[in-house]
Order: sequence, then structure tokens, then C-alpha cells
Amino acid sequence: MSSILRGLQFYPGKTVIHRLDPRVKLLISLLLMATAAMYIEVTIITIVIVVEALLSTVAKVFSRWARTVYGAAPLIILVFIANFLFKLSMPGQTLSFQSIYESLQLAYRLVAFLASFSIFFLTTTPEELGMALTKMKVPYMYTFAFISAIRFTPILAEELQSIVDAQKSRGLELEKGNIISRLRRYIPILVPLMVNVLRRSYELAEAIEVKCFGAKKNRTYLKELKMTTKDWITLSVSITLFTIAIYIRYFSRITIP
Amino acid sequence: MIIFENVEYIYPNGFKALNRINLEINSGEIVALMGENGAGKTTLLKHLNGLLKPTSGRVLIDGVDTRHSTVASLSRKVGIVFQNAEDMFFSPTIQEEIAFALNNFNFPGNVIKKRVDWALKFMELEEYRMKSPFLLSGGEKKRLAVAIILAWSPDIVALDEPTVGQDVLQKEKMIQIIKQANQQGKTIVISSHDVEFIADLRPRIILMNKGRIVKDGPCEEVLTDIPLLQECRIIPPQIVSLTSKLDFLGFKPKLARPEEVASEIARRVRHLVKYS
Amino acid sequence: MIAVKTNDLSFKYAGSSEWTLREVNLEIREGEFVVLAGKSGCGKSTLLRCFNGLIPHFYEGEMIGRVEVWGLDTREHPPYILSQYAGMVFQNPDNQLFALTVEADIAFALENLSIPRDEIRKRVDQALKIMDIEELRDRSSIELSGGQKQKVAIASILAMHPKILLLDEPTSSLDPFSAKQLIDAIINLNQRYRITILIAEHRLEMLLPYASRIIIIDNGRIILDGNPREIMEKHDVIPYGVSIPRIVKVVMQLKKTLNYPLILGTPLSVDEFASILRRWEDK
Repeated sequence: MSSILRGLQFYPGKTVIHRLDPRVKLLISLLLMATAAMYIEVTIITIVIVVEALLSTVAKVFSRWARTVYGAAPLIILVFIANFLFKLSMPGQTLSFQSIYESLQLAYRLVAFLASFSIFFLTTTPEELGMALTKMKVPYMYTFAFISAIRFTPILAEELQSIVDAQKSRGLELEKGNIISRLRRYIPILVPLMVNVLRRSYELAEAIEVKCFGAKKNRTYLKELKMTTKDWITLSVSITLFTIAIYIRYFSRITIP
Repeated sequence: MIIFENVEYIYPNGFKALNRINLEINSGEIVALMGENGAGKTTLLKHLNGLLKPTSGRVLIDGVDTRHSTVASLSRKVGIVFQNAEDMFFSPTIQEEIAFALNNFNFPGNVIKKRVDWALKFMELEEYRMKSPFLLSGGEKKRLAVAIILAWSPDIVALDEPTVGQDVLQKEKMIQIIKQANQQGKTIVISSHDVEFIADLRPRIILMNKGRIVKDGPCEEVLTDIPLLQECRIIPPQIVSLTSKLDFLGFKPKLARPEEVASEIARRVRHLVKYS
Repeated sequence: MIAVKTNDLSFKYAGSSEWTLREVNLEIREGEFVVLAGKSGCGKSTLLRCFNGLIPHFYEGEMIGRVEVWGLDTREHPPYILSQYAGMVFQNPDNQLFALTVEADIAFALENLSIPRDEIRKRVDQALKIMDIEELRDRSSIELSGGQKQKVAIASILAMHPKILLLDEPTSSLDPFSAKQLIDAIINLNQRYRITILIAEHRLEMLLPYASRIIIIDNGRIILDGNPREIMEKHDVIPYGVSIPRIVKVVMQLKKTLNYPLILGTPLSVDEFASILRRWEDK
């Protein structure tokens, strides 16, 4: 689980991918996902994944990207099993190679989905993401909530550790006992954490109040996203490729293995 | 008896917080760990009950190696009052909050009741027995945090920055509590950057800088070593700074009560003043 | 010119049976450096919040009397107007910065006020310079030390060009060295940039030599209000939770034992004391 989280974290970098406008990167991720959605054929999905691998290599984040995919394995296996069992439960279905293959295809597609979003998160700062949301006319309140959530996650993680330390120092043993008693043992961890979050929110509310949050309807911004030539070129290339993919899928008679 | 043998601690991110720490603290001592934020004081404290285990070297608490014990079992002997102890409350009443640790340590029911009563009395919180810990004032919360630890009567009590955000009356109270607990035979380890508070307490001082112990000795010796204090980014107590600047009156930097300094100044000045 | 003033101000928080502020009357002039002192819970923080409209607009309760900030009645104006005159810096370095870079945090309030981008850029540069933190511009505020965070917090308020800075125990979570640096920066704001300062603090030894005025509050009432030297000389302030610098204690003792007649007033810092004695010795 934590390797999925790590795969979604941003690491600073200066590659050409990092420097692309975040909206373009978002679009590329979405297009890749849409391609994977349109096709079930293994070869196409493989092409999508290879493209993503290439992108991650150019962005020099290949190993972290690979780790996300690897870390998602339990989830993917779960989906595979769930889908397979679901198929079996349908009337008239029997255990056959075909049904196994179809479930595998579905799971494989999921890999492509996850992988494409991982690239986006690995090469975009939360700040850029915030700017992208603003540029896309998302009301500032939501962008702010989003950025705050990202910013305060490490702080809350530290706070959680502090609470665990304090309670362990009062003799709390989290590993002991059966499922029911273990859940109860988490109360001394969760209650203080919730109280902490509430208190922090209150103090933050005060702080943004004295900084005139919500004072004016048309808020200005220090930094703004601007599309560069590279962005436009990348954008056009991606859309062209995607159009070709649509064409092949829906309008041509080419069959794909 | 606390022993640190060649202890080193490196955080997962690679930062070496403790570098070849060797120290011995005997039963019944009061010891202050001093140093700026980041010198390693809190890291060292967390080694006392096994929350952190040395990456090399070992820590012995009454002969028991912390690497081979659980935090719960070590905590029975070593109670740590953390800096933001108020952030650990979760019970509906103060009474239950204090009883929590006692339950974890498997104290028998009747003993729990007695210890809770004692702790409430000792920390002057009896009138709040059934109150919610969240409704206490800042100072009362701090007292509750100390009550919680003292309730199970650990042999060693460690306090991490006990005077942060407190006014002068609360600090005086804290000194009294520490002295009383020490009189009951407890070993006290305090991590603090409040020089005046430590100066009033007169403990043995272990001065840390960048993960190392740079001086270990009586309060009067450590707090008058002005060059070393400056190196460790610690501001000396006012009396020490004052006496060091009164060299023209024959003073050497020393730690003393204001009355003593005043009479010394008066004495020396009388030698020099020519009455007109 | 009167910066802020109160007339018979009393305040009780909603749900509380006790009055937190009782009949507070005070006037602060532009350019003053005022220290608010008193034991924990005496009402210092509450009083500060009356000067930027958090009381009565953000906190519910009953308010009697009147508060004026640069002539504006705080009942009639919302916090976002009053905050442009009276900027507030809080105790906790972690809960008043929320952007991802220092520059963004400093720009935050200005963006909220719809200030044009060029002006924002200018003010951000200026704030960074005044607080001497230019090198922190692109850093993430999460990585900074407590002292650095507080400097950024102050800078983010300075960008609004407030006339008075309200500080609520800004050094309480800092170690003494960082606390001293922060206080020196605040003193600089007053002496060099003529910003009026109203600061609630427990750590008085570092502040008293520079404060033009100390106001001691007990149980919601102003008990003492005046020049720090005179107050320390004439009154016992410890019962009010106010710490007396050690050297002042020495001086008080000296006055008892030796006729300390040649000394004018009470020195508040070690250097002052030493130089007074030196001059005395030279005679």
C-alpha cells in the first residue's frame, strides 16, 4: 500500500516532462486511460504501458513508476479474482480458458490505468496542480481545500506518530489481542488524532480569516500557467495519436491480436 | 541506573542524531539535558523507554538492554512526559485518563483506585476528577500529563521541555513537583532549553551539541562556561552574563541567587566608592 | 495619532459564565512598542483579537463597550477590512502557513485582496527583504525551522502593509536562540519601519529593554499600565504571573543594602546594568 502512495508522490525534477504544462500532462494521462478503455486487446494495452514506461524513463522516474505498478499487484490480483468469480456466478458460465483470459485482460487494463496516473503525479507539483485547477475555473475554495490537504498530510503523519509514541509509552500494545480488541486499542490513537485535526482546522480558519480569505470575489494570482510552444506541440501530437487510435478502433476493419 | 554505551542513532532519512553517546545516570539523580533544538535531546529521551533503539551501541535501564524489551515493559520503569502531552488525551473523564496506563500495566483494581486518587491529589486536580480532559485550561492539561505518568510511579521520570508556554507561577510549581518526586526516590531526566528554570533547579547538566555530549557536570560548572554555551547556541542565565561583564569589579562569571550577587556587588563597590 | 483604543471593553465568550475581559480602557499611539503580560488565561489573547475584528465577528460571545482601530469601530467593519490595519501573528508556526512555498504564503493575503500581480510581486520582495529571509523564497514552508516559519508568518502579514502588528506569544514554541532572533526582528520593525507593535509574551527579559510600555492584565482587567522600568521598580508583579528579569531582582536587592542613589532608574538588560556600574566606578 505504501508503495502505491510513494508512487503518487511528487519528486522534484527538471526533465522535459516535468516542465510541461500540467494541463497537458493531465490530458495525456486521460488520453492514455481512454485508449486503454477503448481497447481490450492485449497488444494495444501493452503498447499503452510501454508508452508510459518510456515517458517515465524520459522523466527519470522509471524506478518509482515501476514501484507503483508493482505495489498495485495485490489490488490487481483482487480485481482479477473478483471479476472471475463474478463471471462464474453468471448462469451458464463454466470454468474455461476464455473466462480466465477475459478477467486477465480486465486486470491488465487496470495496470494501464494506474500507471498512466502515476506518471502525472510523479511529475507535477501540488502547486502546479493547484494552478491547473484554478486555470480550469475550479472555484478557489476547492483548490485551496485540495492544496491544504496535500500540504498538511505530512504534518498529520508526524502527529499520528507522536500520538502512537505517547500511548505506547503509557503501556498501550497495539499488536496484542484478537480483531475486536485490536480495534478497540485504536481508540486512544484515533480520538486524539481527530481532536488534533479539529483544533488545527480551527486555528487555520482563524489564520485565513486574518489573511482576508474570501474578501474579494475576483481573486488575483501571483503565478499563472502559460502554454509554451513545447506544450502545444506535445498536445497536438497526443491528440493526433489518440484520433488515430479512435479511428482504428471504430472506423476501420483492422483486427488486432 | 541508566547507561548509554557508545550509542549511535541514525534516522531512516539518514540523519545521525546521536553520535557516540556514553553516559551513566545513577538512581535518584536529577539530570538536565541541554542544547538547541536538533542537538539530540528528544532523540536521547526516546531511547530511555525503547521508543527508539540504538542503531549501534546499547542502552541499559537497570541492567535491561532496551533492544530486547518492549516499549510497554520499559515504560513501567521509565515514564516520559512528552512536550505536547496534552495531545494524547482521549477519555471522557480525567479519572479514566489516569487509569488508562494503570490498566495497561495490569495493576489490580483496588490499587488503580488508590493510585488515581493519589495522583489527582498530588497534582491538585481533585476537583476536576469527573471533568473532561479536553475542557481543562493549558496549565491544568500540563498538570494532568504529569499526573498520568506519576500515577504508575515509574522509577525514572523524563520530561521533555516541561516549561514551554508556561508563566512564572506555573514554572515555580513545576520545580516543586520535580523536587518532591525526586525526594520520593525517583530519578529525573529533564530536557530543556529554559536556562533560568534549570538554573533554579541546580541539576547535573549534560550539554549536547549536534548529537554529541560536549560537557557533563554540575550546574555551576556548565552554565558558567560562556564560550561553550555560545558554541551550543545557548543564552547563559542573566546572572552569569551579568557577573561576566562585571570583571572590572573583580567578578568572574558565576551562578548565584540575586541576593548573593547584590551583596557581592555592594561589598566590592564599597571598596571602590569614595564617599563625597 | 491614536492607533487603537478601547472604551469600557468587556467580553464574554459564548457558553462561558465568566467575563474574559472586564472594563478594559486603553489607548495605544502610533509607533509604540507595547508588551501585554499576565498569567496564562488572563485575557491577553482575547484582547488582541478585539483589535482585528476576530472578536466579535469570528468568535461568538457578548461584547460590551467599544473598540476602535484607526478610527474604525470594530463592530461595524468585518475582519478583512480591520486586518488590513491590524495584522495578527499567532503562536503556532505550523497552523498559519498553508501554501507550498514561502513566496506563495507571503502572496496569499494579497491575492485574496485582489491586488494586481505586479504590486503583489513588489510587496513580496519587500516583505522578504524586511524580514531578511530572501534566501527562503522558493523553499517549502514545511521544511523550515520554527523560527524561520514565524519570520515567514510575519512577512506574510507585513505584505498587507498593516499599521499595527498584533503578536500572540510568537516565540512560545521556539528555543531561546531563535526566540531572540525573532524578537530582534520585531524590534527592528518598530525602530526602523515605525510599525506599532502590540505583543503578548511570557518571555520578558528579551523584550523589556525595548518596550516603551508594559500592560499587565489579571483576570481580564488591566492592573498596571506604564513604563516597564517604573513598574518593575515600584510593584511586585510576580503574583500576576509576570516574570521579573534576574538582574532587576539584583537591583532591587542592591537598593535595600546599598544606597543606590547615583543610579537613575532600573536597568533592564545586562549591558545597561554593567555600564551603569562602570560609570559609577569611574567616579
